[in-house]
Amino acid sequence: MAETGSQFKTAVAGPEGEGSVTVCASCQLLARLEARRCLKDIEPRLFPEDRGPDQGAVVELFGLEGTGKTELLYHLLCRCVLPEAAGGLEVDVVFVDTDYSLDMLHLVSILDSKLTLLAGADEAALRSCLSRLLFVHCYSSSQLLLTLHFLETTLSSRPALALILIDSISAFYWVDRCEGGASYTKQEEKLSRCAELLGRLLRDYRITVFATCHAIRRPGVPSSSSDSERSYLCRSWQRLVTHRLLCSRQEPGNNMAAEGGHDQEQRRQQIFTVHCTTFSSRVKVSWSSSFCVTEAGVAFLSASEENKCAARQ
Amino acid sequence: MVVLREGMCPGLDEDLLRDLRAADIKTVEDLVSSDIEGLAQKCSVSYKALFAIRRVLLAQHTAFPVSGADLYEELLSSTAILSTGNPSLDKLLDSGLYTGEITELSGGPGSGKSQVCFGVAVHISYQLKQSVIYIDTTGGLAASRLLQMLQAETSNTEEQMEALQRIHVFRLFDVYALLDCLYSLRSGGLQQASVGGGSVKAVIVDSVSAVISPLLGGKQNEGMSLMIQVAGALKTMAKDFNVAALVTNHVTRSGSGEVQPGLGVSWSHIPRTRILLERVEKAAAVSQPKMSWSVMEAMTGQLVFQTFWMFT
Repeated sequence: MAETGSQFKTAVAGPEGEGSVTVCASCQLLARLEARRCLKDIEPRLFPEDRGPDQGAVVELFGLEGTGKTELLYHLLCRCVLPEAAGGLEVDVVFVDTDYSLDMLHLVSILDSKLTLLAGADEAALRSCLSRLLFVHCYSSSQLLLTLHFLETTLSSRPALALILIDSISAFYWVDRCEGGASYTKQEEKLSRCAELLGRLLRDYRITVFATCHAIRRPGVPSSSSDSERSYLCRSWQRLVTHRLLCSRQEPGNNMAAEGGHDQEQRRQQIFTVHCTTFSSRVKVSWSSSFCVTEAGVAFLSASEENKCAARQ
Repeated sequence: MVVLREGMCPGLDEDLLRDLRAADIKTVEDLVSSDIEGLAQKCSVSYKALFAIRRVLLAQHTAFPVSGADLYEELLSSTAILSTGNPSLDKLLDSGLYTGEITELSGGPGSGKSQVCFGVAVHISYQLKQSVIYIDTTGGLAASRLLQMLQAETSNTEEQMEALQRIHVFRLFDVYALLDCLYSLRSGGLQQASVGGGSVKAVIVDSVSAVISPLLGGKQNEGMSLMIQVAGALKTMAKDFNVAALVTNHVTRSGSGEVQPGLGVSWSHIPRTRILLERVEKAAAVSQPKMSWSVMEAMTGQLVFQTFWMFT
């Protein structure tokens, strides 16, 4: 509060014509005070009980290619933009795309399949869902930094905006490393500044951030699997992350042919596992869930189905 | 990093630039991230003027958010699916090559990657009557082979010549030439290639691993950075101009001995669809001249298509 107080003081003390600045400061003050929707209940099958992302939380989805990270992101996106009648949260979402990986047609097919369950749903309902999504593409980490600054004004003007999705935060890793030359500080400088700015936005506006991060090391025979799961981005980003979701893909079992002819579909379904870790009152808590990908998006497996799949392999 | 220069925006004159540089503000990012209040006092300029400059610079260099509804409308009207000419490959690819996406073909030597690329180029230029950009980095493209494939489709020499004219070939052998070529295509080359024939619908790079894999490995980061830049240039071109990008890649053996596409884990996130080609030897393979694309499949050994992972 002291910080906003001084903002008022400077604005008033300046020469005439500073009136517009006073108005901006008061808008920002109101935008910060107004509560944004808490996303703790965004997906109870992924974040059970009380472990969901609170306001100001950063969730990192980490994994190799084809492990379902972007699919999970679409699932959470749909949950946010759908109307409450269709089981959604009706919040605005910003999707920051850094590697052109947003598949809009797939996203719309997931939204469609969820909206058809709602009586009286039509084109207008789909359009209103899509209008809650703001899409922005960045082609370099400098542009990402500038865009995050610009998003601050968007956050002030849209109190319904509660979630920023970044896909992916690691897209500029190699380009930044090469530009930074030999010094690690210079290599990590750009992403550090983005992370610091994100931290400030999280504190001031109480939003939530979900970001995907591509793995750059495959778990191989010589190195242990923990090596490939370790975060390789800068410290400022690692400090921001509150929940870490490690995504992996289960290889289809080889003894499938021995099973009976039933559940043909499930036999060919690829099962994905998510291993979540978070710190709750200084204690590391972790749990797992599994899901498979269908036409209508992500379908979480119940505990009994999980055990069945585990027993098969 | 965009360096601050005189005249970038109204109000940014030489004196102000000098004061800003003295306060260690050299780039647009520095100016936007710094505390405007303190900076205005240090450079003895009014808060309002500096705030206005910051706002103009931010508007000039930031990416603007687009509403999801508008984006969807735009995509609906511009996305197309191109058939590859081979029905079984089309079925595997979910009806064909999608514009705006990168599709990867990987396989060992002699598994038919270049032949598939020739087939796609011939199909798009002859059947769909659209232009194709073919970037050849291995020297494996021969116009006589393309002509042979066209002669199997039609015996009219005029049509054959027209179709051949719609395939634009670029021969380059290192990654800087490839980046140059991609950037020049983006800034006007594609429009030029579209003159006279149909618009460019596909860009085929055969092969992308030939120019990048010599740079990978060791402690240098430049190879990885160049690889990501090539990926970025291809993707931006695919999205902005609605073309389908098809690239070929070699294969390596993983730690457990199984075959996997090359160029490593960081490249694996780039293509939307990856296809692995394997050669399965069949008895009595008799090669005949003037084979059409589909006949070749049966004669010289069945090409087995496996999808590695079609990811969303």
